[in-house]
Amino acid sequence: MTPALVVGTTVVAALLALAGLASTVARRRIGLLHLWGAALLEAVLLVQAVLALVLLARGERLADTPTFLGYLGGIVLLPVAGALWARSEPSRWAGTVLAVAAGAVGVMIWRLSQLWEATGG
Amino acid sequence: MAEPEQDRRRAADGVTADGPGRVLVAVYGVFALAAGARAAVQLSTRFADAPVAYLLSALAAVVYLVATVALARGGRRTALVAISIELAGVLVVGTLSLLDRAAFPDETVWSAYGRGYLFIPLVLPVLGLLWLRRSRRPAATG
Repeated sequence: MTPALVVGTTVVAALLALAGLASTVARRRIGLLHLWGAALLEAVLLVQAVLALVLLARGERLADTPTFLGYLGGIVLLPVAGALWARSEPSRWAGTVLAVAAGAVGVMIWRLSQLWEATGG
Repeated sequence: MAEPEQDRRRAADGVTADGPGRVLVAVYGVFALAAGARAAVQLSTRFADAPVAYLLSALAAVVYLVATVALARGGRRTALVAISIELAGVLVVGTLSLLDRAAFPDETVWSAYGRGYLFIPLVLPVLGLLWLRRSRRPAATG
């Protein structure tokens, strides 16, 4: 959980949320831009997840490993679930659906970061 | 471009998972995930610390999950029951968690009316009930 990746994830999530809300405000369906944004967000999260799992396997100790893994498992599902759920919506609300998923990622990544910083004694 | 087709579909039946309803399902899904993960961890690692609070946490997770699925599939009656339990739950647990802190040593999604979640748990059931009312079939209104 490097600070750079956490900030990077937040920025990508925020941009995706804005793009989603923008398409709703403009009464448009989501386009390729949104799907690429969701793919990029997912890629960053997967990098983050693999790094964290490697460090854990190498003996990194956390105060609350089960909760960390719960959040990690949840957060990597969000962009995929959001994109699938948004793609089958033919109206302007598809963008808001993506924004909800991206917003949740943006919040959860900071909670994950906190859990990572709290090391076990 | 696809607007006419979508409007026809929405007018045809009282679906709950189209348009704004799809956003509602997305938010419910996120909460089902968050509450479910939290409850699973609490129950599996420290159930004995606060059985009542953690069981309520699990109940919240189940309610969110049922509401998500019911709204997504158009099960209006199930959704109504789940969302009503959710509203009662957030009000009761929110009040109890403030009155009796000892019984709720760990945060649940409904603690202090969902303060840890930007009070979304308090607003969500109200929006859910309003949406169920608004998305009814025209024939069923009045």
